[in-house]
Amino acid sequence: MTPEFAKGPIVRAEGLTKQVGMQTDTLTILDSVGFELPPAASLAIVGASGSGKSTLLGLLAGLDMPTSGEVTLVGQSLNRLDEDGRAKLRAERIGFVFQSFQLLGALTALDNAALPLELAGRANARREAEAILRRVGLGERLRHYPKQLSGGEQQRVAIARAFATTPDLLFADEPTGNLDTQTGAAIIDLLFDLNREHATTLVLVTHDDRLAQRCQCRLRLAGGKVVEREGV
Amino acid sequence: MVAAGWSLAARMLRRDLRAGELTVMLVALVVAIAAMSSVGLFTDRVARALEREADQMLAADLVMSADQPIPDAFRAEAKRLNLALAQTTIFPSMVQIGDKAQLTTIKAVTPNYPLRGKVRLGRPDSYRETVAAPSPGTAWGDQRLFDSLGLKPGDTIVLGERSFRIVEAIQREPDAAMDLYNFVPRLLIPAADVASTGLIQTGSRIRYRLLLAGPADAIKAYRAWAAPKLQRGQRIEDVREARPEVRTSLERSERFLRLSALVSVFLAAASISLAARRYVERHLDPVALLRTLGASQRLIVSLFLRQYVLLALLAGALGLGVGVMAHFALVSSLATFVKTDLPPLSWWPALSGFTVGVTLLFGFCLPPLLRLQKVSPLRVIRRDLAPAANERVAWGLGALVLCGLIGWQAGDALLAALALAGMGGTILLSATGAWLLLWLSTHLALPLGPGFRFGVANLARRRVMSVAQIVALSLGIMALLLLVVVRGDLLSAWARSLPPDAPNRFGINIQPDQRAPIASAFRANGMTAPTFAPMIRARLLSIGDKVLKPDSYKDERARNLAEREFNLSWGDSLRKDNRLVAGRPLNDAVPEFSVEESLAERLGIKLGDRLVFMIDGRRFEAPVTSLRKVNWDSFQPNFFVVGSHALLGGVPASYLTSFHVRADKQAFVNGLVRTYPNLTIIDVTVILNEVRSMLTRAAEAIEYVFAFSLLAGLTVLYAATLSTQDERRREAAILRTLGASSRVVWQAMSTELLMVGGVAGVLAGLAALLTGALAASKLFELGWNFNWYLPVGGLVGGAAGVLLAAWPLLRKVLATPPLRALNHS
Ligand SMILES: Nc1ncnc2c1ncn2[C@@H]1O[C@H](COP(=O)(O)OP(=O)(O)OP(=O)(O)O)[C@@H](O)[C@H]1O
Ligand SMILES: [Mg+2]
Repeated sequence: MTPEFAKGPIVRAEGLTKQVGMQTDTLTILDSVGFELPPAASLAIVGASGSGKSTLLGLLAGLDMPTSGEVTLVGQSLNRLDEDGRAKLRAERIGFVFQSFQLLGALTALDNAALPLELAGRANARREAEAILRRVGLGERLRHYPKQLSGGEQQRVAIARAFATTPDLLFADEPTGNLDTQTGAAIIDLLFDLNREHATTLVLVTHDDRLAQRCQCRLRLAGGKVVEREGV
Repeated sequence: MVAAGWSLAARMLRRDLRAGELTVMLVALVVAIAAMSSVGLFTDRVARALEREADQMLAADLVMSADQPIPDAFRAEAKRLNLALAQTTIFPSMVQIGDKAQLTTIKAVTPNYPLRGKVRLGRPDSYRETVAAPSPGTAWGDQRLFDSLGLKPGDTIVLGERSFRIVEAIQREPDAAMDLYNFVPRLLIPAADVASTGLIQTGSRIRYRLLLAGPADAIKAYRAWAAPKLQRGQRIEDVREARPEVRTSLERSERFLRLSALVSVFLAAASISLAARRYVERHLDPVALLRTLGASQRLIVSLFLRQYVLLALLAGALGLGVGVMAHFALVSSLATFVKTDLPPLSWWPALSGFTVGVTLLFGFCLPPLLRLQKVSPLRVIRRDLAPAANERVAWGLGALVLCGLIGWQAGDALLAALALAGMGGTILLSATGAWLLLWLSTHLALPLGPGFRFGVANLARRRVMSVAQIVALSLGIMALLLLVVVRGDLLSAWARSLPPDAPNRFGINIQPDQRAPIASAFRANGMTAPTFAPMIRARLLSIGDKVLKPDSYKDERARNLAEREFNLSWGDSLRKDNRLVAGRPLNDAVPEFSVEESLAERLGIKLGDRLVFMIDGRRFEAPVTSLRKVNWDSFQPNFFVVGSHALLGGVPASYLTSFHVRADKQAFVNGLVRTYPNLTIIDVTVILNEVRSMLTRAAEAIEYVFAFSLLAGLTVLYAATLSTQDERRREAAILRTLGASSRVVWQAMSTELLMVGGVAGVLAGLAALLTGALAASKLFELGWNFNWYLPVGGLVGGAAGVLLAAWPLLRKVLATPPLRALNHS
């Protein structure tokens, strides 16, 4: 565990607001969201469709900037970093699973999963990526391209890609959304194994009650506002 | 459903446009069409301006000349075709003032002379240009007449039975060069006054000319009508025939201009093919969706066909508008003759740009559309079910369309053949090269950083797309490089062909024993001694076993040639400015002939034919062992037919030479003529100046068209690279999400771009090297010329160009939060 945030929260959001300009007026899709999360915790963000969950997750991971408010990750304010600084933070500490997977179509499952390891300069990138893909049950599909995989399989590649660097913080947007009960349960186990073994903090958006219940904390959004919080 | 087709197609198109789906396609299409139409418009106008410039040397577009008065029928036909017509009557006579007399070339002109070009009147230092003839009772004399008779404006001179008041000095007559032996002074009088001089009598040496001017097709029609009606002594000529010195440069510049227009077609093809691919890729999903919603295959095809039609019309109209505007902007920014003398706009080139653009769009979009038709509705669920791209059909059809368009646009079989060879060669070379490179890059384990490795791997993974991209880019770069080399070759050849000290005098009738003293007189005057070529007058009797009968030639030019006496020479037939096109150089030990190519063609002389010439009542017979190409614009002594030393060395000959005389050495020439009265010196300064001014203008035209085509081409290539950029934007954003630093993203993207651009550039350079050499030799007849810098230039230019084109986008992606970049793509 790294000392600089050992004492403080690993994620802190303050007054996070996101507005987008439409043709005539501005639309507030996230309204003054704030919370703190200690290291090695797990948080489930729940809410109806369109309530702002994905938007919040993107802001937390520094993939987009809020209109106002601030996110502090592992003791560093994202506002004070530039794009490259945020990228560096992501490379070292953060894993992200998109709701729409965002795999690179030109890369095989193995290459997709190995990408963050290669970027980090790991010598055995492909071997490590292969091990993770086996853990998510894709050992037989290493050389397949995303478009040859089913939705659930693509989702598992995306999870493997986010896991690959054993990040301190893992953000996942509906990680079990496309999975059957059994595979979903396996993925959930995997997430919490990581949480246990490496003290990885989990921030998950989910509609899956089982998954939400296994998390220590819960945050419910409605219309961009926090309407219910548990443990945070 | 079919009735609803158009409006549904329009709605779909509007939706795509709003969503930005079509922006790239539209930009590529609009830029391509704009480039083609503006280059087309400009080259067309410049070509016509050049042609008109040349026509000034005739004072007309077409001239009919005869040694007898021209029959009325020839004038009537010209009037029927609405051609402008003027007449000149030229004869030698004495001009007198007081007790002084001077032999003068009299030229009587009708009031509307000249039809092309202007007459320059006044003093050499203060002149004005006018389109007019002297008014009745007055005459204009040239400076030589003023000098030799000591005239002042207002003096009255006597010509035959009447007098004229001489009111103006002529500095320049547009068609003065028509009368080559114009070493006597000249006098212009009104045609209405000719009869009253009493000088026109049977038996006098008179040349009658009918000058005609008008639209090109009317001129062509007139010529077709007149040619079969010509009698002995009548001739019809345009500037190319009357002035062979400018023919080559005119033809070369025209070819260059057409080549520029073709280059813009190539570029458009490269750009549209890339954009169309992208467009179709992105439309696979909507098609599948339509199928799940119950649309039949026929409906889908007709729907998309309509969308293409609408898109083509939209892009065509926009492109045409932009092209016409760009062309006007260019013209108004020009200086010099191109601006002042530019003929009016013709809409044909613009329309052909439109047609070519639309045809290209269909050529490239249709095969993938037919492929779309087979998309299974399942694709919505299983994205891998895209039907295998039938690359060969797509490329085949594209190539076929392109071939057709090239043939149409080239308007010249040789140019079309060269363009097709260049295109085919480039595609073959770049496709092979690209495959090889991609294969190598995956099979060689290079010790590279993650960014580089990602870039290389990425390229190899999207193999088909990468190859297509490299091929299209190669084609575009090759076309631009071709333009670069051809321009360079052409301009330097022109600079070489008429140096400042090009010969401006011909000396004829030199006796063999006068050569040495004349040469030493030159040297004594600080000038280099000229070379002397033997000249023998001869009559051609037969070609092979056919006795020459002038009347048997349908072609009037051939008939004229067959009637005339030939000037033969012997010996060194392959001068610097001659080029062997068939056979071998003359062997001086064996009797044989070498014949100029165009003469051989006109008279039907083939390699190996035996020619019989009569010289001074003796027969000379020998086979033709070579055909030569002669540069008539070099102002060096040249001959249609040259014999070997063994054949003609013993025949008495006079000698011919040409040399350059500076203005301050004229006294030396006058002295020569006094010392050797048999010597005739012909001053060709007028022609030389005309040819030089023609070359300057042609060079100017080429420069403008070149710069413009280059600019248009780069814009097209830029638009083309845009169509491959949205995929890169997404990749860059994902790499950023995974924490890649700017440096790594740069490495990845630039490796890919540099490889695509560099490989395309190198291969294009190689193709341009070969095509350029072929063009220089076959198309422009400049001899083989290999520009070895091209592959290197292509490599650097291609790599840097592609990188620069992608630079703004990459910078933007790197400065934007990844989620926003992802949402944009
Ligand atoms: N760039 C944007 N422009 C306009 N509206 C946006 C933009 N991004 C998000 N929205 C809107 O903000 C709201 C929240 O979006 P978000 O993707 O965060 O929802 P969500 O809670 O993740 O929903 P789901 O469960 O369906 O994934 C939605 O109504 C969405 O349409
Ligand atoms: Mg969401």
